[in-house]
Formats: sequence, C-alpha cells, structure tokens
Amino acid sequence: MKKSILGYKCKKCATIHYPNRAICRKCRNEEFDVVSLPEDGKLLTFTHLHNPSGDFEVAILDLGIVELSNGCRLTGQMKIEKPVIGMKIKSQIEVVRQSGYKKFYGAVFYKA
Amino acid sequence: MRDVYVIGTGITKFSRLEYPLVEIAAYPAIMAMKDCGLSKVDHVYVANMGGSRLNHQTSLASALIDHLSLYPSGADSIENGPASGASAIKEGYQAIASGMHDVVMVVGAERMREANNLEATDFVASLAHPLAEQIYGVTLPSLAGMFTRLYMKKYGVTSRHLAMVAIKNHTNALKNPFAHLHAPITMDGIMDGPDAMNNNPMIADPLRFFDMCPVSDGGACIILASAEVAKKIKRPKIRLAGIGQATDTHCVHEREDPTDLLAVKEAARRCFQMAKIKPKDVDVAELHDAFTILEIVESEEVGFFKKGEGHLALESGYTALNGKLPINTSGGLKAKGHPVGATGVGQAHEIVTQLRGEAGERQVKNAKTGFTCNFGGFGNNVVTLTFVKE
Ligand SMILES: [Zn+2]
Repeated sequence: MKKSILGYKCKKCATIHYPNRAICRKCRNEEFDVVSLPEDGKLLTFTHLHNPSGDFEVAILDLGIVELSNGCRLTGQMKIEKPVIGMKIKSQIEVVRQSGYKKFYGAVFYKA
Repeated sequence: MRDVYVIGTGITKFSRLEYPLVEIAAYPAIMAMKDCGLSKVDHVYVANMGGSRLNHQTSLASALIDHLSLYPSGADSIENGPASGASAIKEGYQAIASGMHDVVMVVGAERMREANNLEATDFVASLAHPLAEQIYGVTLPSLAGMFTRLYMKKYGVTSRHLAMVAIKNHTNALKNPFAHLHAPITMDGIMDGPDAMNNNPMIADPLRFFDMCPVSDGGACIILASAEVAKKIKRPKIRLAGIGQATDTHCVHEREDPTDLLAVKEAARRCFQMAKIKPKDVDVAELHDAFTILEIVESEEVGFFKKGEGHLALESGYTALNGKLPINTSGGLKAKGHPVGATGVGQAHEIVTQLRGEAGERQVKNAKTGFTCNFGGFGNNVVTLTFVKE
C-alpha cells in the first residue's frame, strides 16, 4: 500500500487539518474524516539547518513548509538542490528520522 | 481587583553558572528579600522549563522553599515554555490582586549549560509539535529561519537589519554587569569584513550565528506586594499595571499568514487595555529577541511601529539606548542571555530597574512606563507586562 500523510477533514465545514486535533478550529465540530493528503503543492518557505541533532546523520538538514494543492499545509524535510519560494513540489513518504531502532516516517519534498 | 506593586528585585549574572539549579533560584531571591527588607513571603512561584530534563530536578519551588527556610509558605512551580517567567509573574499578580495574599515572591531559574549545546537545542525543540514538526528535526532556530525568509521577502528586511539588532543589543549588554555576553561586535566583524563569514557562520539560513541568543544559565526574582505593604517599603513605587496573554496554533504552518505573530499582537492589546495606556506611552521595552528577527517583528505586533516598518525604526536609531524608544536596554535575550524559564522574570527585572532609575550607564532618562514581551513556543503562548512608576 502506498503511504501517505493523513489529514483530518471536518465533517461539518470540510476544513482539512494537519496535524489532527479534537475540535475543529473553524467551526468547533468534533467529527472528522481521515483523508489522504495530496502529494503536490508549492513551497512556502524553507531553511538549511546546520548541525542538526544527533538523530540526523547529515551536516545540513533542509526543512520546508509547503502548501498542498488542497490548501492544507505541511512542515517536512526537503531534498531540492536550489529551492525557491513558490516552486512546485511533490511530497513523498520516507524515513525522516532514525532514533536507535526507532524509525519515523514523514514527508520529504522534491522538485515537481 | 487590588493594585499590585514590585517591592524587591534580584538577579544573577546570566552566564555559565557552576552551581545547582536551586541555588540559581535562591541567590536572586535572597537579593530581592534584602532589597525590600522582608524576610518572609506568603507564597512563592518558581518559573522553570528544563529542570526535569536537564538537571534531574522537579518541584523546584518546593526545593527553593527549603533552601530559603521559608516554610510553611505555599509554593508552585510554573512551566510555560520560554514564557514561564512572565506566566509566574501573572500568577503572583492574581494572588495579590484577588486579596488571597499580600506578599508573593516570583523567581525564574534555569540551568541549561549542564547539557551540551545540541542537547539544549533539542530540549527547547520539545516545545514544537511532536508529530508534525519534531520528527523532521525542526528546532526553534529552524522555525525562526523559515519565518525570517518569508519576512524578508514580504517586508524588505535584510541580513544587515538583523545584524543591526545584534550590534545594538551587544552594545547595550556592555553596560549591564549581569549580561551573558560582554563582546562588542561590529558590522565589519559580522557582515562586511574579510573574516565576517567565519565569525558569523550560517545556522538556519538566512539566520547566522549572531542572530541567535546564547544558551545561558541564570535566575531572577521580583517580589510583588499589595499597596498596603508597598506603602511601608522605602523603594520607588513601581506598579504592575497590565498583563496580557494570548495563544496561537501549535504548528507554525497552520497560521493563515505565517509572517504574523497574532499572539504577540493580542497579548499586547490586552495588556495595554488593562494598563489603560497606548503603545506610544511606553518609554522603555524588553522584547523577546531569542532571534534578531523577533525584536523587529514584535516591535510591530505590539503596536510600537506599523507592520513592516520595525526595521526602519531600528535603522533610524529610534530603538537605540539614546533613541526615542529604547528596546532591550539589558542587552535582550541576544546578549543578556536566555535562561529560558528565567527570561520573563529577567525582563521584568530590567524594566523595574529602569523605572526605579537604577540602571546606571544604561539608564533611560525619565522612564515612567515600561513593557515586556515574553514569547513562548514559536509565538504560540505569549505573555506581556506593563509597569508604571508612580
Ligand atoms: Zn469544522
């Protein structure tokens, strides 16, 4: 099965939340549908973080915030050579952090 | 509600301190008790963020009561991230204003340098969202970097403006004996000169080394009292006139316009309303410049300047020590230091010192009204305070 990031769509006002919360921030409804978030979007902002924590075996960790095609936003890692604000991206699910034997999956952004 | 006054203050040097967390809390507390001449208080609030994680010390307030032999006074530890300090002051205010207590001690203390720099950064990053931010390696500097990039694009702020904040605050810190960094810096040394990029390496671009506050140990204390008690204390009358607090989304990416710091705006609005003053009435302010960009943006959001014009005010010298509205006379978090849980109390200490007219070489002339902004998370929990000299 293809992995994707799961958003939480309010059953009443259709606002998509990521991450999840118990009460909708727009209408205070408490029921959500779990939906797969789209892979395509645009880069809102980014940084190259030097000397990240020990779980990351890289000297520089690239991080970004994207707006997906359905308007939902995500923070994630970025593997883009020359990132530019506003560029089109595609997100992919990968291991983003490894702490001992524990693996964490999350979104990695590539140039679309 | 009853009026509340600051009757005593104390502070440690913000630095690397080689003594236990409880002593970092105790030293400014003793100073503050001597300052007002009282040896007993009704209640103690202690702000601290990292004791359990960095120093294997929980229930710091109980430990402090014992160290100061203040039993059987009540005591609470307050953890509200980097805004713990101002939150603890708010608790103290409420206890006195409500009539429950007459004298309350508020202490902030942190010992971060027991851990190495990476561990300290990782500890502070624990305030980010675990699933949507932390797993990716998001730290506070990286959130600040992403925020700064957007801000620069939208409002024309440049790296030189950021460097101006650092230079101003390092210069102010030279006049503050309690400041962590006593290191004058110049535009040549950190931006223009041949060694500038070595001196000032990139950390989370566009933010460089000198855009970040240091990791500090330190403690500060203020003692609050009712008007009746304050009347008998032979110290200048400084009233805690306004408190505002507001929150925002946990994840930065969920904010409609990620260049807005709405919690700062709302906390300041509530604070000024309570104090019955306007932003233009403020004579001196301490803003939470954990990153240089934050001083500029907070100066706009609290209402000192229009959105997008904070960097212009900075450039013109308006916020310098001899300017119309000096900001971060203590050196700010940038150069005075940022012992996270203690920072809000440290900011209050500086404003009270200024309003008392006891700031020595960095004294702002005729300062009557002072303001602090204590910024928790990446702006998701902000506490602001207004102090007025009577
Ligand atoms: Zn809804």
